[in-house]
Amino acid sequence: MEFKEKTLANGLTIVGEVNPAAKSAAVGFFVKTGSRDETEQINGVSHFLEHMLFKGTDRLGALQVNEAFDRTGAEFNAGTSWETTIYHAAVLPEYLLEVTKLWIGLMRPALRDEDFTIEKEVIKQEIAMYKDMPSFDVVDRCRKLHFGTHPCGNSVLGSEQSIDTLKSEQMRDYFARRYAPNNMVLGCAGNFDWGEFCSVAEGLCGCWQKQAADRKLDDGRGSKSKERLEKPNLNCEHICIMSWSVSAQDPRRFAAYLLSNIIGDSAGSRFYWELVDSALAETASMQFGPMDGTGVFCSYILCSRENVDKVIDIVKNIFNSVSNDGITEAELTKAKNKTLSALVIENELSHGRLIRLGANWLYLQQYRSIEQDVNAIRAVTTDDVNTLASRFNLGDFTQFSIGPAPSG
Amino acid sequence: MAENFDKRILNNGMVILGERMEGVESAAFGFMLPTGAALLPEGSCGAANVIADWIFRGAGDKNSRELSDALDGLGLHRASSVSSSHIGIGAALEASNLAQALNLYADVILRPNLQENQFKSARQLAIEGIQALDDDPRQKVMLKLREQFYPAPLGRSTVGEVAELKSLMSEQARQILHDNFSLSETIFAVAGKYDFESVCGQIKNLFAAELRKPLKPITLRPQTDDYTHIHNDGAQVHIGLMTETVKLSDENYYNDRVAISVLSGGMSARLFTEVREKRGLCYAIGARYHCLKDAAGIMCYAGTAPEKAQETLDVIIGEFYRLSEGISKEEIDRAKVGLKSSLILQSESSSSRAGAIGSDYYMLGRVRSLDEIKQGIEQTSVDSVLTFLRDNEFKSFTVVTIGPKQVTVE
Repeated sequence: MEFKEKTLANGLTIVGEVNPAAKSAAVGFFVKTGSRDETEQINGVSHFLEHMLFKGTDRLGALQVNEAFDRTGAEFNAGTSWETTIYHAAVLPEYLLEVTKLWIGLMRPALRDEDFTIEKEVIKQEIAMYKDMPSFDVVDRCRKLHFGTHPCGNSVLGSEQSIDTLKSEQMRDYFARRYAPNNMVLGCAGNFDWGEFCSVAEGLCGCWQKQAADRKLDDGRGSKSKERLEKPNLNCEHICIMSWSVSAQDPRRFAAYLLSNIIGDSAGSRFYWELVDSALAETASMQFGPMDGTGVFCSYILCSRENVDKVIDIVKNIFNSVSNDGITEAELTKAKNKTLSALVIENELSHGRLIRLGANWLYLQQYRSIEQDVNAIRAVTTDDVNTLASRFNLGDFTQFSIGPAPSG
Repeated sequence: MAENFDKRILNNGMVILGERMEGVESAAFGFMLPTGAALLPEGSCGAANVIADWIFRGAGDKNSRELSDALDGLGLHRASSVSSSHIGIGAALEASNLAQALNLYADVILRPNLQENQFKSARQLAIEGIQALDDDPRQKVMLKLREQFYPAPLGRSTVGEVAELKSLMSEQARQILHDNFSLSETIFAVAGKYDFESVCGQIKNLFAAELRKPLKPITLRPQTDDYTHIHNDGAQVHIGLMTETVKLSDENYYNDRVAISVLSGGMSARLFTEVREKRGLCYAIGARYHCLKDAAGIMCYAGTAPEKAQETLDVIIGEFYRLSEGISKEEIDRAKVGLKSSLILQSESSSSRAGAIGSDYYMLGRVRSLDEIKQGIEQTSVDSVLTFLRDNEFKSFTVVTIGPKQVTVE
């Protein structure tokens, strides 16, 4: 595994991890932009723009773009979050350059009005789809409640209303500001020739203009408010609990990952034994969500309406006991084993390696080998986790619930 | 069988399969136990989920927590599933922990504690799972669709029925486990980094003493309705649609797969282009091949606004019929490249290979090599796909919708 890096004069960073033994290669653009970089008036534009990139360039129409991808047999997709927009494709090595050129072309899209109008309908359907997924909807709403006016509370999809009123000029303006070469990273992992890859990228991206692309990096401590939304068509209670945590850049992030695993992994965690094992809740999981300059612990619980009070009491007890009594050595060892093997398995695929490679560069401007992360996880002590748990009190949480009307 | 495959059959009939992979440090394994939803006695729909949970709540000399700690101690990523034919239990892990994991799984399969209080929790959790499905119309519509499409009991819900689970007693569950955990019908598959001789030796020591037990045959009943609507005041109408097609063992299997890829393989495929790109009717739209041993179908999902549901359904069905009218060489070529490439990309994952070889063996009685599959795809052409489609016209469509509005199915 060999790491490579090059930064062009216009600020575009190209990173690569070459593995000649792989059967495939994965390539992608990592753009440092997402819903936290939007204002209320243009909420949803990052995600809408991600869709619009597939509509083509001055030389390629949407159908031609889709055909061009499919000719390479690529497994490709894109995703927008609160702070990144990622475009990625995994291909057989012989198609790598073709698919790289295609992505590069799409990073300078035409953004035609007629495509904008029809895609607006698709986006509205996507918003409706997620409304029918309460497990997603509740997290989105809880994030808004938690962050309040902090931009990390902005919904990725936007609302039907913000999408309706969004104009194509606003999108073009946003694109010009955010898709600057110095605000994005081009990455490649797997079986490929670094020299050839770089010269293609340099030849085609070298002319892109540098722009000022800033981001506000306030820490978000969270509102600690509690709200509930009644939806008569639901059968169960969906609960999201969110609290303040360390950022993606913070060295304590490894302890934070392990803490969330100890409390809320799908098997063998405290949530599992106290909520799921006894069938008080159908699902109870906790995740650490590191972000740029801030972070959250986020739990999702699905249970019947009649168990809500009991479940919330148990969650509070678990949080208190972690803060007051700490975690055990045995819990930490289990969490480490699970985390380490997940890391190894996920990184056997070029696609998994690409996502790690790009994300590390975006957040840390750093290459981290798997071994470095393995060692960092191994080095975490119970004291590290307990200190973190007392500094970031899990009991100070924001809670949003969605569920049916009270029965009877 | 290709170079990197391993196979052995124990005296009691249990099948051991392996696929060695270069350059990986992990191994993935799975036991396919013949206790799927279709094989359960009448009136116990959902029992397989209860059993799949119950057997992990203590086994051998370990109670529930000790067993879980032991599995977690090995860093196991557990996977457990219930299909029409099997309970599948397995895991992905670092290869050096494989032998210890297999010892624990032998306890789970052969010596589960099956305590009464644990049964109640496992059953309650299964019931909660069914109730949670009401809040996930997208998944629910596909389960209902399979139930309606396949001749009963093949399509029986893999999640279960609340009423039947509520009356399920631990004695019945024990009996099902006793009757169905038949090692002569069990397939064990491993992929990644492993030593086949030592895996076989270990599996033989652990499992060979158990004798053959014949499974009770099931009788198929005809399908029921063509269209069902479930009312739900959600934001979208969730449409599930399915039509009959050839099985994995059919000589036209690859023609079929290429045809389905033309319909819904990549983003340039017809459904995505016509339904989403040109008309903006949906965000989620797609069709895929779905196969059981004794029946197969093309399964399609679309989620759309109530006022667009009818148009969406009409466009989808129109696209099915339009396939046999003509397909361009470019479309066939893209479909073939897509199928081949996804095959190779998946071959890098030990979990997907362990799943694939197990399922091949169950469906075909043998494992296809990647080369054989590639060749099968390669040999298709515009002519062969069109001939297949014209000889096998789509006859009828089974449709299920969940949402605020019904559709009309011709």
